[in-house]
Amino acid sequence: MNVTVKKIATMITLSASIAALVTGCGSANHAVPAGSDSSSTSGSGGSQAVDDSNASGNIVWAAAPITHTGLRKKLIAEFEKQYPNIHVTLQSQPADTDTDRSSLTTTISGGSSQSDVYMGDVVWPAQFGNAQLAEPLSDVLPKSFFSRFSNGLIEGATYDGKVYAVPFFVDTAFLFYRKDLLKKYNLPVPTTWEQVKSDAEAIQKAGGAKYGFVWQGGDYEGATCNFIEYLADAGGQVLNGNQAQLTSSAANQALSFMRSLITSGVSPKAEDTFQEADAENVFDQGDAVFLRNWSYAWSDSQNSADSKVVGKVGVVALPTFAGQSGSGYSCVGGWDLYINPHSKNLKADLQFIDWMTGQQAQSILAKDYSEIPTNKTVADDPSLKSVSPIFSIIPNVKYISRPTQTPNYPKVSQAIYNNINQALSGSVSVSSALNHANSQVNSALNSSAGL
Amino acid sequence: MSVLSAGQTQGSKRRHNLKMADRKAGFGLLAPAGIVILAVTIFPIVYSIIMSFNNISLTTNGFAFQSNGINNYKTVFGSPVFWHSAWFTVYYAVVTVFVELFFGLLIALAINNVKKLQGLSISIMLIPWALITVISAQMWDYIYNGVYGVLNAVAESLHLIGQPVTWLGQNTSAVIAMMVADIWKTTPFVVIILLSGLQMIAQDYYEAARIDGANSWQLFWKVTFPLLRGSIALAGLFRILQAFGVFDLPFVLTQGGPGTATESLAILGYRTLFEDLHFGVGAAVAVSTVILILLACLIFLAGFRSMVEEEAA
Repeated sequence: MNVTVKKIATMITLSASIAALVTGCGSANHAVPAGSDSSSTSGSGGSQAVDDSNASGNIVWAAAPITHTGLRKKLIAEFEKQYPNIHVTLQSQPADTDTDRSSLTTTISGGSSQSDVYMGDVVWPAQFGNAQLAEPLSDVLPKSFFSRFSNGLIEGATYDGKVYAVPFFVDTAFLFYRKDLLKKYNLPVPTTWEQVKSDAEAIQKAGGAKYGFVWQGGDYEGATCNFIEYLADAGGQVLNGNQAQLTSSAANQALSFMRSLITSGVSPKAEDTFQEADAENVFDQGDAVFLRNWSYAWSDSQNSADSKVVGKVGVVALPTFAGQSGSGYSCVGGWDLYINPHSKNLKADLQFIDWMTGQQAQSILAKDYSEIPTNKTVADDPSLKSVSPIFSIIPNVKYISRPTQTPNYPKVSQAIYNNINQALSGSVSVSSALNHANSQVNSALNSSAGL
Repeated sequence: MSVLSAGQTQGSKRRHNLKMADRKAGFGLLAPAGIVILAVTIFPIVYSIIMSFNNISLTTNGFAFQSNGINNYKTVFGSPVFWHSAWFTVYYAVVTVFVELFFGLLIALAINNVKKLQGLSISIMLIPWALITVISAQMWDYIYNGVYGVLNAVAESLHLIGQPVTWLGQNTSAVIAMMVADIWKTTPFVVIILLSGLQMIAQDYYEAARIDGANSWQLFWKVTFPLLRGSIALAGLFRILQAFGVFDLPFVLTQGGPGTATESLAILGYRTLFEDLHFGVGAAVAVSTVILILLACLIFLAGFRSMVEEEAA
């Protein structure tokens, strides 16, 4: 018995030291990359800050489906053409963002090196950086690398002074409307939320459409996005420093308006269960006049296989409340690329994210799939305007970010969407929902391990 | 039961006669199984308990433990979110298990008494149980959907409701809708257990009772029910264990919403562990849930013990 125990103990110690050796090798790699020629432009690859001409081997890219399922494979194929020594395997992640995050946090916190590069939400950097689930990229890439991105994007990927992700593509919300219906009933394209509501009511009354306006009010992150847009339009904010500001009159105006959309019948009763796909489905079936959704809704609505409103759709920046100037605020969304800190092939990983944020990949994203690029040079390309009307609107969009600088952001967001959702369903009053949200956001911010 | 206890007494007599060498060999033979159980059951349980007494942060080298006594439990028990989830889980379990036992018994009696096509009726009855929960939950999601749901379409055409109802968007209806889906899915399990119990009851009892002049009502209460109590306890116990850990149904149907109306303890634990990455507090939620389940099972069994013993005598 004792001999066996000793043997087992020796084996464990041995394997532990082997593991330590392997990890040691991994961290030794970290110092290697970071080429210098950030300005040189190779024919199709764009600016190359990373020059690992000897990078090779296999890496795994974990990514949830990006609305167009062929997109990920197309990018991989183009990358492999350029770098034949690196082979990229696609690991498809769950489409639901929260499930995707759970799957990644579970495997990476368990020390898995299964995925090398992963695609993650723009709201993750603080949480992932804090929990060491992402490689700090500012430690392994030169400063010049980050200058390729549009303004403000790198700040969103920074936590505690380090950059934990590179922006892959941006997404934001727009107002999609039925051109044909507005024309038929002789109504202008609305510029205020009040107009959206009254136009919708008029068209519904005349029998033009079953519903007026569909958006996302379900019990999930999407409700937080929708709410902070109205909140910003009303002149409010979620946080002031480290204090929640959700009992303000602006917050009350925002949530009361959302609730009134449902009580007036402009939005369906089921609005409080709607996620993106539900709202989009109602709109694409021709049952709604207005839709609030992310940029991909444009190409989806123009795809005759799933949409009955091809050629009848217009898109503008989100409206604002009456009395405010310009357009309304749009929630900043989108996806970043992160590197697994346990990855065994950092050189190839860096080569991959370098190419993915370079001009060639970003042009594919924008021109072939109408995603909003993060690479400044590609984003400023005037020829994009012919790809999708979205690209001509972007200069007018006012962005509002979610309060993602805290590692407890998931808790903060839950406090918002749980209570917003309760108010939308009519179970609690607007003011008591906001009071609850306010105190829950405060306790999420001030406790390191709350419930 | 009496057969079982007879076997037990024989066994204990034999055990006394075992020689030390035989006993050693016996333990040796048990060891592989014991090690497996230790590795897959005892270790994770002990690990969770240790986690629940620590403040855990993630590092690239794995978990970093920092002992913080009972602070995690203080956080858990001091939080209205936990008590809300606990209360929801308890009444969800009580209601569904009770209704399932009631309908399960009715269906089992029906299948047992109607001898025609028994195989076919059992197979059809088992379909809901055979479906994977995430799939059947998705199916119920289509039924309950507030815009294109089947339930609204049927109810509207029958003029039961004036306009579409958002079944999953209102607190009370969401809870009821989830209970219905659970009852639909797991009643067949109860039926199967009770049916096997019914078929083990010897026909002699019924013949004797009939000779004594008992009617069918008396036959059920004086013969069937007392002899079925063991099976009812077994089915109830299994169902309580599962109902307290309900996860897949709310995960697919409501994500715990609206608000936190259908947030079960398992969903709360999942959120705390894997969304918020608060591993220590999450482990405390998990351990508390286990204790709650054990308590529920003990209470349920205590209620049944007297009856079971009565039957065994």
